[in-house]
Amino acid sequence: MDMLRITDLCKSFGDKEVLRGLTLSVPKHSIYGFIGTNGAGKTTTMKTVLGLLKADSGEIAVNGEKVVYGQTARYIGYLPDVPEFYSFMTAKEYLRFCGELGGMRRGENEARARELLALVGLADEPHRIKGFSRGMKQRLGIAQALLNRPKLLICDEPTSALDPVGRKEILDILLAAREQTTVLFSTHILSDVERICTDIAFLKNGVVNIQGKLSDVKTRYRGKEYMIEVETEEALLLLERTFSNMKRIDRNKVTFSEDKYSVSDVLRFVADQGVSLLKAERLEPSLEDLFMEVTEK
Amino acid sequence: MKATVAFVKKEWLEQLRSGRLLITLALFVLLGIMNPAIAKLTPWLLEMMADSLAQSGMTVTDVPVSAMDSWVQFFKNLPIGLIAFVLLQGAIFTKEYSSGTLVLSLTKGLERFKVVVAKAGILTAIWSFGYWLCFGITYLYNSYFWDNQVARNLIFSVVCWWLFGVFVISLMILFSTLTRSNTGVLIGTGAIVLISYVVGLLPKVNEYLPTRLMDGHSLIYGVAEAKAYTAAIMITVIASLVCFAVSVPTFNRKQL
Repeated sequence: MDMLRITDLCKSFGDKEVLRGLTLSVPKHSIYGFIGTNGAGKTTTMKTVLGLLKADSGEIAVNGEKVVYGQTARYIGYLPDVPEFYSFMTAKEYLRFCGELGGMRRGENEARARELLALVGLADEPHRIKGFSRGMKQRLGIAQALLNRPKLLICDEPTSALDPVGRKEILDILLAAREQTTVLFSTHILSDVERICTDIAFLKNGVVNIQGKLSDVKTRYRGKEYMIEVETEEALLLLERTFSNMKRIDRNKVTFSEDKYSVSDVLRFVADQGVSLLKAERLEPSLEDLFMEVTEK
Repeated sequence: MKATVAFVKKEWLEQLRSGRLLITLALFVLLGIMNPAIAKLTPWLLEMMADSLAQSGMTVTDVPVSAMDSWVQFFKNLPIGLIAFVLLQGAIFTKEYSSGTLVLSLTKGLERFKVVVAKAGILTAIWSFGYWLCFGITYLYNSYFWDNQVARNLIFSVVCWWLFGVFVISLMILFSTLTRSNTGVLIGTGAIVLISYVVGLLPKVNEYLPTRLMDGHSLIYGVAEAKAYTAAIMITVIASLVCFAVSVPTFNRKQL
């Protein structure tokens, strides 16, 4: 069953249509990468799921329960892109406050807060949130989002504003959280997606263009490009003379499209001529290529 | 209930750590001391000026001062206290809008009406505590120096003024849910009070307006009787309840 299902979601701000019939389903225990350029509608989608924005039309169900505007479903934990806390509190006090809001019992609240503060590395932080760095706030943000053991964790660009170390920390925490929850996170940093996501969706102009398991998407959009790597430059020149439409990408590498030459023809030539072959492979499209393809279409 | 208590605790901590509670209470204490002090100092001030007054043909004889002068000061100074209170506490909602801190609380499952209840509750509590503290200080000094018996309808008149403060709080809450900025809250609240005051200059309508409750002066001198305030009290109570009640659905619809 899906943890989150969005059907035909539409939302406009004035005459600006942000979402135009967005449909999405997030399977349980996945880490779902929600990818799109700035202004594609990622934050709007997430805020609507949280009940913070009113949808014009369409339906959203979290764990099978319909989302109503004005009230966040109790299964959700949320980390905004720039989380803002009551700066006069300490991290510990803030988590206690969150636990009380969610109706946690005192003992459980204390134990869970201690556990999470240790997880995000803020256990020994005596200062008030006022003096926290961006990375510390982001980590506290994850702790508060995980506090009441949500079934769906929604993170809005959790790594965008962080340095490489901070980013790695956040990604590791998200990866660890997968065992207990489903993670939906929006981003435009594709290396983060490759690192931890199991499923992805590309968002463009308010609709989802591509979605599914990361590996499936990659297979489905696998191009017809092949790459041949040979040992010597002479061998390469020989190939280039015969197949004039091959594209040289390195000293000893060429690529070609299946539209121009059939793979069997090329390989037969290699075998017949005794070309010293190092590698022949079908090229995996990188997420960058996919991203460009989707966003430029 | 647990969530409301948690939110009230948070508001309390914020009042405490931001120093706003301290400033508000210090102000009311100061006003409470000033009322009898000004009354006590009046003869002495006049005596100081006796020479210059004599030159312009006025002679200063003994100036009798009673608790009445102190109570007159009390009602004169209260608007200052209330205005300072509104300025200090006006951003109680709007600060959370601009910083975005409410979003996380609400996504924890906190129902929105509880935010309104908690904030209205804490404002009313601070106003009441500060107000009665100010009253208590003035009362004690007055009974030490003079006799409070001279003022008629004393308790009734101060209850009326306190009620007017609650009405202003209900306006603050209502405008906080209608607008996004602190300026909007101050202008909205100020405008309603001003309109009530200006319209109240017509004697016929005055009886029915909340600003009538500010006129403690007529009550303690016995110029007006308590029952002349009944209509204004009823209308103020109803208006306050309406403001609080309307705030809940407007806040529910507010985009954060």
